[in-house]
Amino acid sequence: MTHEIYAFLRGPMVWISLTVFLGGSVYRLASMWRLAKKKDAVIFHYISVFYSLRSLLHWVSPFGSLNMRKNPAMTVIAFIFHVCLIATPVFLSAHVILVKESWDISWWWMPDHMADLLTVIVIGCCLFFAGRRIKRPDVRYLTSVSDYLILAAIAAPFITGLWAYHQWPAFSAMMLLHMASAEILLMMIPFTRLNHMLFFPFTRGYMGSEFGAVKNAKDW
Amino acid sequence: MVKNKIISYTAVFSVFLLILTVAAFSTDYIETVDDSAFEKKTRPPAAFFHDAHNETAGIDDCSVCHHLYEDGQKTDDMSVGMECSECHMSAPEDSAADLIRAYHLQCGGCHMEQKAGPIMCGECHRKN
Ligand code: HEC
Ligand code: HEC
Ligand code: HEC
Ligand code: HEC
Ligand code: HEM
Repeated sequence: MTHEIYAFLRGPMVWISLTVFLGGSVYRLASMWRLAKKKDAVIFHYISVFYSLRSLLHWVSPFGSLNMRKNPAMTVIAFIFHVCLIATPVFLSAHVILVKESWDISWWWMPDHMADLLTVIVIGCCLFFAGRRIKRPDVRYLTSVSDYLILAAIAAPFITGLWAYHQWPAFSAMMLLHMASAEILLMMIPFTRLNHMLFFPFTRGYMGSEFGAVKNAKDW
Repeated sequence: MVKNKIISYTAVFSVFLLILTVAAFSTDYIETVDDSAFEKKTRPPAAFFHDAHNETAGIDDCSVCHHLYEDGQKTDDMSVGMECSECHMSAPEDSAADLIRAYHLQCGGCHMEQKAGPIMCGECHRKN
């Protein structure tokens, strides 16, 4: 039975989740594009690569925007969180080795103890974000159940992956949960708040061009 | 009398030789795969009780693993006595990833096909 589930999660399910993720992303970006054309067609006249990149660059640098300078602790944590969140799965030895097995391509991978550290940081950040939502009245006011569910969905592949790597009890079941939860997370990206990953460059392009080309002002 | 002695000495010596040869080619001592080409191992050694494995898995043909190719075609001959890395990490462009891939495809590939035997990292690279 384990062999069948593993084969499914390792084979067809990878394609299904990649298709939903990529197809969903293209769909979301296309409908946003259509909406912009309908509601705010003038943006296409002044949208500029220079101002877009200028804004993007400021927003991806630590303390590159005023908002970040106002909230230094949150900024540091959010930056570390996002770097670990992306870097861990991409440069994890096990992931690169699996890709190598399937498609015969590979790239640099990080030492496993480093992956462990980054994983623990991500889990810690998820706990911190959840705690913040519970403790701070202003944030709590803006919080719905779905915010907690999204945090849990992000933490799940990290907790199960760490578990499987260290071969803690019932790790092979945990391995299957890991693959399933990761594939679910991937499919959630285009359709939940996680889509800021897709929209971020465009939000910056929009704001950057508006402020740069039209208002002659900074948007950071 | 002398003839008898010679016969028994020869017999004892032959048995001794036989044991020596068997011992030299014995694979019963192998409990893990330990390819010398990996500069440093990052995982616990991969469990592999050579003889017991091949007996329970019912593999009689050594060339299933110790294979030999000629012009890209697999032959019936075998490469017993060679490490996998002697061929699978021999080209200058080959990396450790290529050697790992060879092991994983051969070992894990068969386990997947037969729906028996370990398939997950921790089932082969056992911590204890
Ligand atoms: C399932 C795959 C598999 C099969 C089948 C198999 N072997 Fe092996 N054998 C290996 C692996 C892997 C090693 C390497 C162990 C190592 O490097 O530590 C090995 C090592 C050996 C060695 C030791 C080489 C050395 O230098 O120490 C000998 C001898 C050997 N095998 C003979 C045989 C013979 C004879 C058969 C057939 C009866 C056979 N093997 C069948 C996988 C296999
Ligand atoms: C004498 C050289 C040699 C030795 C030793 C050798 N191989 Fe190979 N192997 C080849 C060649 C040649 C090919 C076919 C060309 C290719 O795919 O690289 C091949 C193909 C393969 C393949 C892909 C084809 C298939 O069988 O599915 C795998 C996997 C593989 N070898 C694993 C191993 C493992 C594991 C060992 C050690 C037990 C080993 N090889 C020992 C030369 C060798
Ligand atoms: C041609 C098929 C085949 C190949 C090649 C093969 N195996 Fe297996 N292996 C099996 C089968 C079948 C079983 C299950 C035997 C059983 O328990 O019924 C198994 C079981 C195992 C087990 C579990 C036995 C135990 O001690 O719990 C380990 C570990 C293992 N294989 C390691 C390896 C490694 C390492 C390699 C590569 C060097 C390898 N196998 C190559 C068929 C194969
Ligand atoms: C079917 C058994 C099997 C499975 C499953 C397996 N491996 Fe391996 N792996 C091996 C064998 C055999 C070697 C060669 C070991 C050696 O020579 O020390 C190896 C070598 C490696 C190496 C290089 C040696 C080292 O210790 O640095 C790495 C890294 C590795 N495997 C990682 C993984 C990862 C990650 C997974 C899960 C995605 C995995 N393996 C699953 C059998 C397996
Ligand atoms: C198709 C999807 C995936 C598959 C098949 C997969 C497979 C694996 C495997 C085999 C391991 C290693 C277990 C070990 O080394 O013993 C692992 C570990 C891990 N994976 Fe994944 N994974 C997938 C997606 C993801 C995603 C999307 C994330 C994060 C967003 C992720 C995060 C992790 C983490 C954090 C670890 C543990 C690292 C450590 O503690 O060292 N995985 N995964």
